[in-house]
Amino acid sequence: MTNIATAEQTVTLEIARYRPGVDQRPTLQRYDVPYREEWVVLDALNYLKDRVDGSLSYRWSCRMGICGSCGMMVNGAAKLTCAAFLRDYLPGPIRIEPLSNFPVERDLVIVLDDFMEKLTAIKPWIIRDEEQPIEQGEYRQTPAQLADFKQYSMCINCMLCYAACPVYQHEEQFLGPAVLALAQRYNHDSRDQGNADRYELIWSDEGIWDCTFVGECSAVCPKHVDPAGAIQQAKVESTLGWYRSFIAPFGRR
Amino acid sequence: MRRSNEPLFWSLFSAGGMLTALLMPALILVTGFLAPAEWVEYARLEALVTNPLGRLVIFAVAFLTFFHWAHRFRHVLVEMGLRRFGLPIAVVCYVAALAGSAWAGVVALG
Amino acid sequence: MTAPYPRQRSNAWYLANWPYRLFMLRELSAVFLALYTVLLLLLVRKVHAGPAAFAGYVDTLQSPLLIAVHVVVMAFALLHSVTWFQAVPKGLPIRRGEEPVPPQLVIGANYVLLLAVTVIVVVVVRV
Repeated sequence: MTNIATAEQTVTLEIARYRPGVDQRPTLQRYDVPYREEWVVLDALNYLKDRVDGSLSYRWSCRMGICGSCGMMVNGAAKLTCAAFLRDYLPGPIRIEPLSNFPVERDLVIVLDDFMEKLTAIKPWIIRDEEQPIEQGEYRQTPAQLADFKQYSMCINCMLCYAACPVYQHEEQFLGPAVLALAQRYNHDSRDQGNADRYELIWSDEGIWDCTFVGECSAVCPKHVDPAGAIQQAKVESTLGWYRSFIAPFGRR
Repeated sequence: MRRSNEPLFWSLFSAGGMLTALLMPALILVTGFLAPAEWVEYARLEALVTNPLGRLVIFAVAFLTFFHWAHRFRHVLVEMGLRRFGLPIAVVCYVAALAGSAWAGVVALG
Repeated sequence: MTAPYPRQRSNAWYLANWPYRLFMLRELSAVFLALYTVLLLLLVRKVHAGPAAFAGYVDTLQSPLLIAVHVVVMAFALLHSVTWFQAVPKGLPIRRGEEPVPPQLVIGANYVLLLAVTVIVVVVVRV
């Protein structure tokens, strides 16, 4: 039971601040926030913004790990701030910085244009040679067919995997973990017939072949998508396709 | 973006990786600890390295290990900051692996 | 107005945390395996050269330096094997219907294979 008559426990946050056009580079600003056992880092940020410093800029929405908005670096590790409990970082100070490997718009807000472009480029929708007529009803899938791609459909586009990927850090053209996992989500969906439309992009040097299987993308993923696994499977598929193209060069891929 | 030719080198890397993962500890045990302990006899080793299958195994182990190294090492150098020299580094590494394999072929033939 | 702070990269990124460092060690294990293969080929050459040459090579292998080399190489070989076995189920997930074969089973099978291969090699060079 907390005794409100005694001094309130606080925890120190060191938060990256960056004002475009004013600051040369981000700097860390220290704040003390009350410590609550049930608080997550996002609660602390919201407290700060409401009561202490309204100029602090950051993204958040659902506060329950499904929207993918609140990804930031907490003590150097990519995390959803709605899922990072203050109690796990005691005694502090807790360092909060914008997601690594992205340009910084302001404070904790990153520029995600590159990610959005790449996401669209792999055609993340069901591609069919011919749409089934409405009279035939819905496309049906067995549980096994669903299991083929379900894991990859759980991605919330939070970009923690991009912050964790050293290849993305150094190679601007790399499509990256989430985009490649999403491509596999559609490639493995029995309703989709667009594999060939995606291979050009994902089987390229800027696609799966830039990946060296560091594996940190899967380690930080809050939804257990396992993009590293998706990419390694794509490498196997690409390799089989490559060998097959010599044996049957005119076959449909 | 055209389709990559990485699959060739990646399949050699994978084969080499699987083979070395299963076989290397055993080989290192033999040469590093059993041989110095004089636990292996010359006659037996001579029979193994002159046997046609033995020669093939020696060559295959060397070939796949060198290509496994070449693929991994060229990526390591790129990741350590030499991305700009990616192509020449790759060429040098794979040519070195070829050279090593050629030497291994000569050694295996005795 | 917008003047984004450009994304940062570090050429020492692999020193930043333990997973990255382990990754780099894993990648470098290939160097030690390649160097060892040279030692192995030298042994084969000595065997082809005759019992005297082989005996001389055994003398060299008995030196503390070569023993130390083999200890280091063995450490890296085991690092490679352990990390490789972990990676196999990622690239080749096996499923029976809806249920995936648990990766631990695949990894375990690889260890059994490693043990079997080691026993076979030791038997083959002795018997």
